[in-house]
Amino acid sequence: MSRYRLKTIAFAAMHAVMGVLLPTAASAQDYPTKPITLIVPWPAGGSTDISMRAIADSASKVLGQPIVIDNKAGGGGTVGPATMAAAAKPDGYTISQIPITVFRLPLMQEVSWDPAKDFTYIVHLTGYTFGVTTNSESQFKSWKDVVEFAKANPGKVTYATPGAGTSLHIGMEQIAGMAGIKLTQVPFKGGAETNAAVLGQHTMLQADSTGWRPLVDAGKLRLLMVWTGTRSPNYPDVPTLKELGYPMVYDSPFGIAGPKGLDPKIVAKLHDAFKKALDDPAVIATLAKFDMVPNYKNTEDYKKFVVEVTESERKVIDSLGLAKK
Amino acid sequence: MNDQTNVKLRLSNSELWGGVIGLALGGFVIWSGLKLKLGTINDPGSGYVLFYTGILMCVFAGSIIVSAITEGGPTLASRWENVRWSKPLLLIACLVAFSVALEPLGFLLSSIPLMLLLLRLIDPVRWTLAIPVAVLVPMGMWWVLKRLLLIQLPSGLFGIG
Amino acid sequence: MDTLVNVAHGFGVALLPINLLYCFIGVFIGTLVGVLPGIGPISAMSLLLPVTLSGTPESGIIMMAGIYYGSMYGGSTTSILVNIPGEAASVVTCIDGHQMAKQGRAGPALGISAFGSFIAGTFALIALMLVAPKLASVAIAFGPAEYFSLMVLGLVVLTFLTQGSMPKALLMACIGVVLGLIGLDSITAQPRLTFGRMELIDGIGLVPVVMGLFGVAEVLLNTEQAIKRDIINTKITHLLPSKEDLKASAGPVGRGTILGFFLGILPGGGAVVASFASYALEKRLSKTPERFGHGAIEGVAGPESANNAAAGGAFIPLMTLGIPPNVVMALLLGAFVIHGLQPGPLLITQNPGLFWGIVASMYIGNVMLLVLNLPMIGMWVQLLKLPYNILFPLIILFTILGVYCSSNNVFDVYVMIAFGIIGYFMRKLGYEPAPLVLAFVLGPMMENNLRKSLILSQGDLWTFVQRPISAVCLAFAMVLLIAPLLPALRKKRELVALDEGA
Repeated sequence: MSRYRLKTIAFAAMHAVMGVLLPTAASAQDYPTKPITLIVPWPAGGSTDISMRAIADSASKVLGQPIVIDNKAGGGGTVGPATMAAAAKPDGYTISQIPITVFRLPLMQEVSWDPAKDFTYIVHLTGYTFGVTTNSESQFKSWKDVVEFAKANPGKVTYATPGAGTSLHIGMEQIAGMAGIKLTQVPFKGGAETNAAVLGQHTMLQADSTGWRPLVDAGKLRLLMVWTGTRSPNYPDVPTLKELGYPMVYDSPFGIAGPKGLDPKIVAKLHDAFKKALDDPAVIATLAKFDMVPNYKNTEDYKKFVVEVTESERKVIDSLGLAKK
Repeated sequence: MNDQTNVKLRLSNSELWGGVIGLALGGFVIWSGLKLKLGTINDPGSGYVLFYTGILMCVFAGSIIVSAITEGGPTLASRWENVRWSKPLLLIACLVAFSVALEPLGFLLSSIPLMLLLLRLIDPVRWTLAIPVAVLVPMGMWWVLKRLLLIQLPSGLFGIG
Repeated sequence: MDTLVNVAHGFGVALLPINLLYCFIGVFIGTLVGVLPGIGPISAMSLLLPVTLSGTPESGIIMMAGIYYGSMYGGSTTSILVNIPGEAASVVTCIDGHQMAKQGRAGPALGISAFGSFIAGTFALIALMLVAPKLASVAIAFGPAEYFSLMVLGLVVLTFLTQGSMPKALLMACIGVVLGLIGLDSITAQPRLTFGRMELIDGIGLVPVVMGLFGVAEVLLNTEQAIKRDIINTKITHLLPSKEDLKASAGPVGRGTILGFFLGILPGGGAVVASFASYALEKRLSKTPERFGHGAIEGVAGPESANNAAAGGAFIPLMTLGIPPNVVMALLLGAFVIHGLQPGPLLITQNPGLFWGIVASMYIGNVMLLVLNLPMIGMWVQLLKLPYNILFPLIILFTILGVYCSSNNVFDVYVMIAFGIIGYFMRKLGYEPAPLVLAFVLGPMMENNLRKSLILSQGDLWTFVQRPISAVCLAFAMVLLIAPLLPALRKKRELVALDEGA
């Protein structure tokens, strides 16, 4: 039903029509005069989707117009931003969540967008808590068990990720490289699917953001490690990557952006609204459900951050031998 | 069935044409699949399924062509016998004109003339009924969508709607 | 006994006047958006999600759920009346439902889909109360290999949907798969078959394809006929199903309900596969399969029950595992989370009032829907009395609006018109659109799961046979494929035997 589910480029074309006539200055002044579409490039119901819905709901109160969430999943979270970059008018009525894959995938393969040129970055919002889980009935009691099994059976350990080239994929490959083991990645479309995959033992492991939390709490899944800098207050017994001997922290920070050429006045309005949303206790509470904390960066800092992150990603991708030829 | 309506290897055999179009599409899909890379069976690429679907299309289209040649089929003309073939054609022309006009003129300015044309051209409705229907229905829908459901319809170059 | 206490408690919550009001608003909006093709429950629920925040979690979720199953009721109306399916699950209703309408039996068709929906909805709820936690494992037992085989089974079903030649149907199915694959590859994000057009990056929408192939093509075909001004050839005889209709429908409703409920549990295309599978099953079981496609009431009763039962089944993975099986359920999940609740294995034990309240309210909502919908049948049938020369421009206008509203995208209107024209020529040449639509929906899922299962099995094709559920699906597919050939073979053998005897 995937095609059926995808609400297509909402509002984009309509504004292609509107944009021709209306002078931009006037529309930037009155902005927003109609519902804004926020593309969330993950399936509905995952941690990104729900946290973005909470943030958007709060921001829409500031903006005085509803923000409609459009779930456009696929390609490790790049299908949505790519579609926006290609088809949406820079009028502020189509914006998108920008996962880190938007910067990473262009280093790995031919893509239709250029992260340095095709987006107007608005505000940086937050980051994820990643973790690796396994079914509670599985033979793996700790990460050490996984490494031992994988050493004896190279390539036999399968793990579900929310897409090829996501931080989970890259992170797992880095870990495998350091541990000297070979793992097999199976790319799904997002948290709801990876949960089902590991629950049904179709894959041995799941590497994903905190969408697994209710299942771990219920004892259906076992959390083997988290990828944050320090242990999660909710799971004080679960080791971090560093403690396991992999000197890395992965949190895949993300923000929102519009298509290139967005009016600075509109950017400022959106920035202010989303910044306020990050202070909203309801938003903080929703984020906390997924072990996420606000990580605010203003428009300028976000732009700088994009350049930095692209460079550091390039090093990682090169070292893994995944760079595009 | 006489020779007029059931022909075998003739250019007017409609079944043959259906098969040939299918075969051409199948060929194109195979080519696209190859271009997108098949990958390996361990890790199938983007073109993997396209390639095999294309092959299947050619097989089915081939069997349609074979049965068209061996068993024959109705002629193209016979498919449109005894019907008012000009009416669907007119309707298609109206729809194409509408899709050209929709973006520049906007929803209201393009759909009201479309409704008028459809009401008058195919099976003419009397003017006193056609005009109110053509004007009021699109405007009513436009109002419901815009005011109640907050859905903005295309407004066109003149910003009407 | 525990269950009974819980159910009583649930009705206590659901019968609070405020919750009754929310439930009514929900099913009413649901019926409206269901009837309007294109504007589905998804848009209505996304728009109303903020509204639910003001009330208690119970009332908010009760209203959202009402919109969802209310739209399932309304979905068949346009399929039957004007051959425009509002969504994939009601495509199959068009086949016989619209034929019934043309024969002046729109009333019984609408009536049986309302009754069938009610029975299926009620059954699904009772099953939800009794066995929800136990069935959770069904949803996760399906991995990529199982999904692939289920999709194969679904595609085999399409051979039952056609009256015409088999190669044509299969060719249409292949074209459907290819059309479904247009857009960015869901695994590698490579653009496929987009011809450099930005609008195609996102793929072709289902709504414009379906409305073009069914709605617009049907209008084009109808305008050919000079004599038949009315959409109905004969007089409208009954408004409601007769005793014979009800008798003929009992079996299909029962089978459709069970089939729909179980397939509905599966994340993904459960409801669509269920409605098509139910149609195929009824045609297979029928003593007079030739009536299918020409207004057989079984062909409406079965699939309509199946897709409503599937809507009930879809709650199971959400409520018990926190895994939403479709976008609508995901929106409900969002509503839960925004209210500070986390659906998952602990929901039922931690929040029994909420869970049972929602289930009880759905039961009440079902009754409301039946009461709301039965009187409307008369009104809908009146609509068909409009002369066709006034009706068809309205149909065209509604399809245009429906397509536009489903995506807010002018490009989709072009796609619909193009598919309307293609669909007209297809039908003139004896190619049927239903297999194309089914393959269009199932194809991309089949591709994605095939690739994932091959990665998982490291290229071993035996994986599809070694895994039991997958093997069963494939075995069913084989039986379905071979069974229709057997009578023909037997007949031939009998003929041969007779020849030898003589």
